Amino acid sequence: MVTESRARPAAAAHRPGRGTGLRGAMARAALRRTGIYFVIGLLSVFCVVPFAWVVLASVDKTAGLYLELPSLTIENFRRFFSDPTTPRLLFNSLLISGGATLLALVLALFGGYALSRFKFFGRRTLMFTILLVRVVPATATIVPLYIMMIRLHLNNSYTGLILVEAAYQLPLVLWLMKGFFDSIPVELEEASWIDGCSRLGGAVRIVFPLSRPGLGAAALFTFINVWGDFLTPLVLLQSAEKYPISIGMFRAFSAHNQVDWGLLTATAVLYMVPTVLLYLFARRYLLKATFTGALKG
Amino acid sequence: MVLGLLGPSLVLIALFVVGPVGYAIWLSLTNKTLTGFGAQTPEFIGLENYRRLLTSADFLHSMGRTGEFIFFSAIVGQFLLGMLAAVLLTKSTVRAKGLFGGAILLPMVVPEVVASLAWASMLAPGQLGTVNRTLDAVGVTPLAWLQEHPMASLIVINTWRGIAFAMIMFQAAIEGISDDLIEAAHIDGAGARKVFRYITLPLIRGPIFLFLLLTTITTASVFGLIYFLTRGGPGGQTQVTSIYIYEHSFAFFQLGLGSAASVIMLVVVLVLGLTYVRLARVEV
Repeated sequence: MVTESRARPAAAAHRPGRGTGLRGAMARAALRRTGIYFVIGLLSVFCVVPFAWVVLASVDKTAGLYLELPSLTIENFRRFFSDPTTPRLLFNSLLISGGATLLALVLALFGGYALSRFKFFGRRTLMFTILLVRVVPATATIVPLYIMMIRLHLNNSYTGLILVEAAYQLPLVLWLMKGFFDSIPVELEEASWIDGCSRLGGAVRIVFPLSRPGLGAAALFTFINVWGDFLTPLVLLQSAEKYPISIGMFRAFSAHNQVDWGLLTATAVLYMVPTVLLYLFARRYLLKATFTGALKG
Repeated sequence: MVLGLLGPSLVLIALFVVGPVGYAIWLSLTNKTLTGFGAQTPEFIGLENYRRLLTSADFLHSMGRTGEFIFFSAIVGQFLLGMLAAVLLTKSTVRAKGLFGGAILLPMVVPEVVASLAWASMLAPGQLGTVNRTLDAVGVTPLAWLQEHPMASLIVINTWRGIAFAMIMFQAAIEGISDDLIEAAHIDGAGARKVFRYITLPLIRGPIFLFLLLTTITTASVFGLIYFLTRGGPGGQTQVTSIYIYEHSFAFFQLGLGSAASVIMLVVVLVLGLTYVRLARVEV
């Protein structure tokens, strides 16, 4: 998506009737090209520079709050895994994100199939309602959610957090799965019905396997969203041994005057590497997922 | 059959997303608190919470700050820089688009907490902070950015984080414009600027409007970035509505009041969301 270029004849780049011959036109085109690279380069640097400190400090023996050349070491990462508390953060993040992803996906697999294959009354309205639910800001529901969780005895529990995270992600995953199922021809299933499969059997044996790539994209996308969440675990979890990385980092950062910058930046690197890698390898799919319901097609 | 397949999903959404919305409306009509008397026996107090909020300078300021935050970071910052990136990266003469695009994408894909941490170092006070060191070169004296200009700092950070979102939406829209149209304009003697002004811009008016709606909705609920860096401070200068709700509910334990603020925020966002869903005309 980002890399696609538009093929346009090179001749269109220099416009006729404005230059003093070919040489002038070419010089102007070169100048303009330099200008374009300068601006887009500057913008790229602006976007990347803030990460320089995070990465460099994580491999710095004497890491501080300021950007400086590191005295190289992997000690900070070693400490992350030998520390009594930090490995637990990683485990919790994996558990919460993995659990929520699994739950949302299993539910959306069947729900999305129903939205794609059955033309029931109110289906359109339901689709739009689901899309609208997506814009409900987490900040606006967090207070009642907190009281509800106490009432349901799900406060400060993995189960409670996983249920809430899955529910937040479901609207989008339903839309995604419905889209994937739409692209699989109904005729394939119909053949399986003739062979004696039930409606659900056809779905499970024919359609679900074919939607595996879509399922993968939806899974990655859901996982990344839950992985990065901050507000929900901040409110719904109170014991430190259940914190995911986001909350652990926040607590460590807020320990004024005694922040272990090396350990904190190493944690940050370990925390962002999965999402960056996933975007690196599956950018096209993930961006498509991001804009589902936002763009046509 | 449909109900069996779709039911579990709808139950989960109803229970944990739609349910809390309804519960927020109920709570907002009570004097529910987290501790003390109001915790056990919250009383129905009608619209009292709303009356208090709408006459409270604190709350109205938080709305104003949210508006300021949205306007400068999303509508001005993200829009202009995202458009710039999109226009440049759809030019056929530009090479290494993947590299530039990937660099601009980075702030959007990293977790909120990592983005915040990165800027804590960027904006660190004193001569050694990265921003201060850079500005020192052009003769600006070092500042404690998050203390002296907290709102402006957060606006820059949120702009930085959202450039990619705007860029991708606009890129897709610009790529959808027929090449013949631009070709024809070039032949008629229109320069790049005129092509942009009279052809590109009018043709992508729809996506631009949708972007503005979407980014307003998402920016209104930004919480982690601000809470991580300033916690709404110093002196409440960055207390946007999302921080206001959190503080009043979980630091001051006024759950009824916090719920009323949530409902006000929700109404505004849902109106924008409805407009969006109507206008987007996404295929169902």
